[in-house]
Formats: sequence, C-alpha cells, structure tokens
Amino acid sequence: MQVNHSMKVFGTAIFLSALVLGVWPAQQGYAQRDGVDFSAEPHALVTEISDTLFQSINANRADYRANPDQLDELVEDVFIPVLDRDFSARLILGKHGRGLSPAKIEAFGEALLDQLVSRYSDGLLEFDSRDQVKVLPLVGKNTERQTRVRTRIQLNDGDEAPVDYVLRKTEAGWKAFDVIIEGISYVATYRNQFGEEISKDGFDKVLSRLQSGALKLDKGKSDQG
Amino acid sequence: MSRSAKIFSTLKVTVLVTVLAGMAGCATTSDERDPRDPWEGFNRGAFEFNRGLDKAIVRPIAKLYHYVTPNFLEQGIENFVTNLSYPVTIVNLLLQGKFEDFGVSLGRFALNSTFGLAGLVDVASEQGIPRHNEDFGQTFAVWGWENSPFLMLPVLGPSTLRDGVGRIPEFYTDGVSIASNEFDRFEPLVANILTLRVNLFDLDDDLNEAADPYLLVRDAYLQSREFQITDGETELPDYDEFLDEQEDFEQAE
Repeated sequence: MQVNHSMKVFGTAIFLSALVLGVWPAQQGYAQRDGVDFSAEPHALVTEISDTLFQSINANRADYRANPDQLDELVEDVFIPVLDRDFSARLILGKHGRGLSPAKIEAFGEALLDQLVSRYSDGLLEFDSRDQVKVLPLVGKNTERQTRVRTRIQLNDGDEAPVDYVLRKTEAGWKAFDVIIEGISYVATYRNQFGEEISKDGFDKVLSRLQSGALKLDKGKSDQG
Repeated sequence: MSRSAKIFSTLKVTVLVTVLAGMAGCATTSDERDPRDPWEGFNRGAFEFNRGLDKAIVRPIAKLYHYVTPNFLEQGIENFVTNLSYPVTIVNLLLQGKFEDFGVSLGRFALNSTFGLAGLVDVASEQGIPRHNEDFGQTFAVWGWENSPFLMLPVLGPSTLRDGVGRIPEFYTDGVSIASNEFDRFEPLVANILTLRVNLFDLDDDLNEAADPYLLVRDAYLQSREFQITDGETELPDYDEFLDEQEDFEQAE
C-alpha cells in the first residue's frame, strides 16, 4: 500500500527529475534577480531556477500547451547551464564508460536529457501555483563540494512528494547531477537500467536507441489522463 | 476462519506455480548478482507471473473502473480505503515509540471516521493534519532487522523477507483485510486493489520501456523503503563508487 503510493508519487514527479524545477522559497521576501547567478549557493540556485521557469510558464501557459516543442526548449535553456550533465552520464555509465571518448559520453548525457525533457516537461503545465513547491532549509551532511537541497512538492490530489537535488561544486559553480524522488535516486536507478542494457547490446547500440527514442517520444506524447 | 484458510491454500498453489516458473527462469539470470537479491531467479519468475496477472485481469478492470467512475467518487473511495487501512500506521507509530505522531494520527482517524463520513472525506488533511506512513516492515527495521533480501511475492508484489513477514500482523490490523476476514465484506478489498492500480497507470509506460522492468521495480522498491524507514533521512548513494576508478574526472581539485 505505502510502497505503491510512493511508486505513484514517483510517476507523477519523475518529470522533475531531470529538471530541478518549480521551486518556491520557503522564506518569504526572497529578493529576485534578473537571470541566474551561477556562483550562487545551492539553496539560492535551486530557488532562482524555479522562479525563472515559473514566470515563463505562467506567462505563456496556453502557448506551451499548444506547442510542446517550445516548452521543451524553454526547459532545456533554463536547466542546461545548471546541470552537470557529463558528470551524471559518467555516474550512470560507471565502468561501461571506460575507454569511451568524451564526445560519446557527452552524446549519451545529451540524449538522456532530451528524452527526459520531451517526455516529462508537459507535466509542468499541471502546476498552477508556486506555492505548490517549497525549498526546505539545508540539513544533514553537506560539504563544501557536495550538497543536497530538499524540496517538497504539493501534488494536485493533496499528497506531498519529497524531491531532493544533489549538487556539486565545479569550476563553473554549483551544478546539479542527481535528483532523488521519495528516496529513489535517478542516477542510481538509471545506472542499473543502462548497465544491464549496455552489457547485453553494447554502448553504441544503446546510444543510438536512446537518440531515436527521444525523437519517437517527442512526436507521440503520452495521452495518459 | 475457514475463508482465510481457503485464501491461504490458494496462495500456496500460486506460490508453487511461481517457484516452478522461477526455476525455469534461473538460466536467464544476469551474471552480476546483487547481494540484496539472492533469490533473483525465483523473484523474476514471480515478477513475470504478476505482470501476466496484471495484463490479463487487474489492469483492464482498473481501466474500466477508472473510466466509468466520476472523479469525486473515485477520490472518495480512495479516501475511504486509505482511512480504513490507517490503523496499521497508528499501531506502528506506537510500536516505534513515536508517541506524539501516534496521538495526532489517532485524532486524524477519529476525525475522518466520524465527520469525514466513515473516511469518504479526508477532513483531517483539509485541516492540515499530516498523514504518516508506517507499517510492520518499517517497525521491524527500526527495531534492528535492517538488511533483508528482496522478495517478489506472487500476487502481492515487491517486498523483502522482513516486509513479507510484516504482512502477517498487518493482516490483523488493516481494516481492509479485517472486513474481508471477519465480516465477509470484500468490497473494501476490491476497492483497495482498484485504487492502487489506478494510481500506477502513470508508471505503465516507464515499466514497459525499461531495459529491465524487474530491475526497475526492485531498485525503486528498495530505495523507497529505505527512505520510508529512515523517514527521509536516507544516506546519499555512494557516488564516488559509481565513478569508474580508472577515470580521473574530478574537476574541482
């Protein structure tokens, strides 16, 4: 019963997984800035990103509904600069990434993100209000180099989904590389999925399947109600 | 009593069938064994059996139910079965020594069972009273039974040995199973199964497209259980170990 509940939340919230989105500061009166300050500390960074995204969605909701490609573009524009896509790809590939050229790893990370965005970005349109998302104060083991930012997302049926983002400090500032929804880590879960597939079919096949899969999903968006 | 005996004997047959199926599946098990899943062959057999059952019977009926039932009624039914099962959480809050949450949860149950029209309306949530989530498997873990092998239960779905044992006391605490065992009322049980299944529709695509659906369910189950047991204070995955040691990918230093 409880487990199925979390699977449900996982399903509803997974679109957030690549996206670090829709977050509203728990403290009121947080100063808004133009654009995103990449040197910001993790907590502020998560907050700012979501502000940018929510503003755009609230202003253009009808357009995005009619034209999902535009929404995908927005989501990618907002998130790509703050995601450590290659690092996520490395973690997911693990030993299967051994000996691959950086270009191939980059292509893998890109295809994975494309697929997640095209599949889940329309879920964003379901959110009516920024109050549905709050960022919790930082607790637990956070270091100078790795931090977990906790958020709570109010779903439309009244349930609350815990969504945590894991960020690391890079030369270009803090960047997110994992999302944990109700305890389910996107990196750890995909790692096993792709590990299995790559040992069976090899990296190149999996990559091209991922790349073409993204196209397919783009055209035939799920009509699940 | 005789009825639950009948249920158990049906289960026994099911288990037998699944064990046989599992043995047949042993040959195809992957080479890298996960220490948390020593019975992978059996588990994969049970998983295939469950998916077959789902595709043939449970999912089509749940689809029909979801299609014909007005939204407000479906929500009411979900509230009803959730409330009816809530004593499981209440008892386990007590067993884990979370006395304050226990008190609040008792109040939640009383409120929903009366003013909430036997649970159809979740008045407690409207009043901002939190809903907790505890069960016997979590209690056993808090008491020290921490690591337990993954076990795919026929019909019932993903579990561990510990969580499976936890289902026995749950059987006598959950209002849904009490209704069917003691009072021969099976409506709540049916409503419970349909509600659970409807809530999983969103995941059907993810599961069907997964490279290995069994692994997806196992990983998600074990991780989310860990999260529930620790009430959200789970350790992060060991990312350093995920990286291939032969690569040097640290940029920060």
